[in-house]
Amino acid sequence: MWKSLTKSDNTEIVIALAGQPNCGKSTIFNAVAGFKVNTGNFSGTTVSYAETQVYIGGRTVRLIDLPGTYSISAIDVAERVARDYLLSGQVDVIINVVDASLLSRSLELTLQLMEMNVPMVIALNMIDDAQKKGMEIDIKALTSLTGLEAYPLIAVQGSGVHELFDAALRVSENGFRRVPPVYDRDVEECIARIEARYPSLLRERLKVDTRFVIIRLLEMDEEFERIVAEVDREFLEYVIENRRSLAEVHDWPESGVFASHRHALVLDLFEQVVSVKSRSGMGLSEKIDRFIINPVGGLAATVGVFFLMFAVSFWFGNLIAGLVEAPLESLGVFLMSHTSGYTAMLVSGVYDGFTAGVGIVLPYLVPLLVILSLLEDTGLLPRIAFMADGLLHRFGLHGKSVVPIIMGYGCNVPAIMAARNLEYERDRIITMLMVPFIACSARTVIILALAGKYLGAGYTTLIYLGNIAIALGVSSVLSRLSEDMSPGIIMDVPPLRKPYLHVVMRKVWVRIQEFLLFAWPVIAISSIALAVFSYVGIDEVINRVLSPITTFILDLPSELGITLFLGIFRKELTLIMLNSALNTADVSTVLSSVQLLVLVVFTALYIPCIATISTLWKEGGWKVALLSIALNTTIALVVAGSLAFLL
Amino acid sequence: MTLLELKEGDTAVISRVSGGKGISARMAGLGLHAGKKIRVVRAAPFRGPLLIEDISSGARAMIGRGIASHVEILDEKR
Repeated sequence: MWKSLTKSDNTEIVIALAGQPNCGKSTIFNAVAGFKVNTGNFSGTTVSYAETQVYIGGRTVRLIDLPGTYSISAIDVAERVARDYLLSGQVDVIINVVDASLLSRSLELTLQLMEMNVPMVIALNMIDDAQKKGMEIDIKALTSLTGLEAYPLIAVQGSGVHELFDAALRVSENGFRRVPPVYDRDVEECIARIEARYPSLLRERLKVDTRFVIIRLLEMDEEFERIVAEVDREFLEYVIENRRSLAEVHDWPESGVFASHRHALVLDLFEQVVSVKSRSGMGLSEKIDRFIINPVGGLAATVGVFFLMFAVSFWFGNLIAGLVEAPLESLGVFLMSHTSGYTAMLVSGVYDGFTAGVGIVLPYLVPLLVILSLLEDTGLLPRIAFMADGLLHRFGLHGKSVVPIIMGYGCNVPAIMAARNLEYERDRIITMLMVPFIACSARTVIILALAGKYLGAGYTTLIYLGNIAIALGVSSVLSRLSEDMSPGIIMDVPPLRKPYLHVVMRKVWVRIQEFLLFAWPVIAISSIALAVFSYVGIDEVINRVLSPITTFILDLPSELGITLFLGIFRKELTLIMLNSALNTADVSTVLSSVQLLVLVVFTALYIPCIATISTLWKEGGWKVALLSIALNTTIALVVAGSLAFLL
Repeated sequence: MTLLELKEGDTAVISRVSGGKGISARMAGLGLHAGKKIRVVRAAPFRGPLLIEDISSGARAMIGRGIASHVEILDEKR
């Protein structure tokens, strides 16, 4: 059957990248769109869809990067995003991205996508990995058996991407040859029986292919069952009756009988398309992997990674901060001596913001971002999850939470979103509530720049260890409050991959850009605002309101009230405003060591920043957001308050 | 016999995945269907998950012990 989908030239073509997790959808997206979305070597890097407009061959294309999904019956929240988009009827062409080295597993989804009857091309990504495994893929055979054009590519190097998109555009213009997967005779008869009774009302309600709908129903897809029940209860019962008899005949559980038939088709297709020669010997990455998945090697790697992350950020940050300190200072002196009155106030505000960015935030931020990117790209995250799973069980979590937790050291916002990869609501909520306790890069800058500089490496390490202990304690208590049990972890472990310098650099650059374009202006404006506030006297009002917390509980100068208040907007502001709030160039002359410790501990734990709160609200609802605010603030007050009282 | 009873290095064929639709769907997503020959590469410390390798494709996945107890196998030993 030929399907023609010719459109007039001025309409936009919607192309969606769909495929299983970690097959390189986002890498292809970035190759076409410029670096716009984050990538990484673990399943579930993308949890919400991204879109961009690009011009290819004179046509306007809206390119959609979907989260990975193992199958069309989505299990977790990220998969649901992909499924909902695919079923929305907006997509003109699907580019089904597959990891060529995992072709047999990937074809399961390919067949499900084919059943949707939407024009499609196949992108055989990481074709080099497949070749290394000794796999030879007969692309012509794949095309003739599926009706789909397929293109080999190595997306991370950009090779093959052009041909792929040319083909996608061609398919959108010329239509495609539909070759729906054909099942065993009794299955096909079952589908035909149901199709004969397909209610026309349902055809109007669901704008997707009828055969696809029937197959979804035979696979016990709850959402389709619900919709069908609303439209025609009797029809649904007829389907269920047929599904039961199919399961009985084949002696399979009702939920798995159809999938098992599809699996047989996939095996058959795979055997016709792929021949496997002997594979080459063990590569370097496999040797490293063998070391890492050993208990000793794994522990060493995990501890080493954390140590490296903070030690390098600390060392490098101090080095650069020290280097730029003197020039920035003389710039300040120069500016002050050449301005006066209101101009001076404005200039000093801008100068404070600028100095804070160059002299304090960036030196510590850049190395941290580089190391986090390396962690994402090499595939170490799932391995840390593997090693940590057993331990995390004692705290009511499991290994899959490792990804959000470690991402949290960069920024809590994507970390909370990464919890979408957790299949169970219980695990997801506990992880979401735990992440705001993780010291994100902004708070890491505060810890390193204050504790690191004035209290030494020993205290800094203690603060980090204490921070982790508190986060684990919180999840432990929360998990005990929940009656559900987590069934545990099932997670893909992709091969270790060599990080590409250009990818790491782009990733770091994108995140620095976020800081420069978004955070820096906020900091500069706040600096000016603070100058104005103190001129008018508003800061004193805020300081007085917060003084029960600052002076009574935390034993800190009341002038810090305004900096802690501003920290709710951007955590860096607490640090950056410190000097001007205390009216000193060296805070250690005003604050005692204990006060510095209390301040650092309090800022590391107290109320999440606005961006984090709004993400919690979006991802978990207002209850989760409010609970998080209450939890963080209470624990920060108790811990920092006890330190102030005891020391 | 279940996956849980295998030791590091043992191979086996998956015969059935029980324990609910979510678990079997996730296993199937990772290519771990009935009939698949697998090897236990490593068992993580502190009663952590098992690292399983799909022998035909070389793909690896970790499976927590709770879930491994729902995976029935035909033992092949080494």
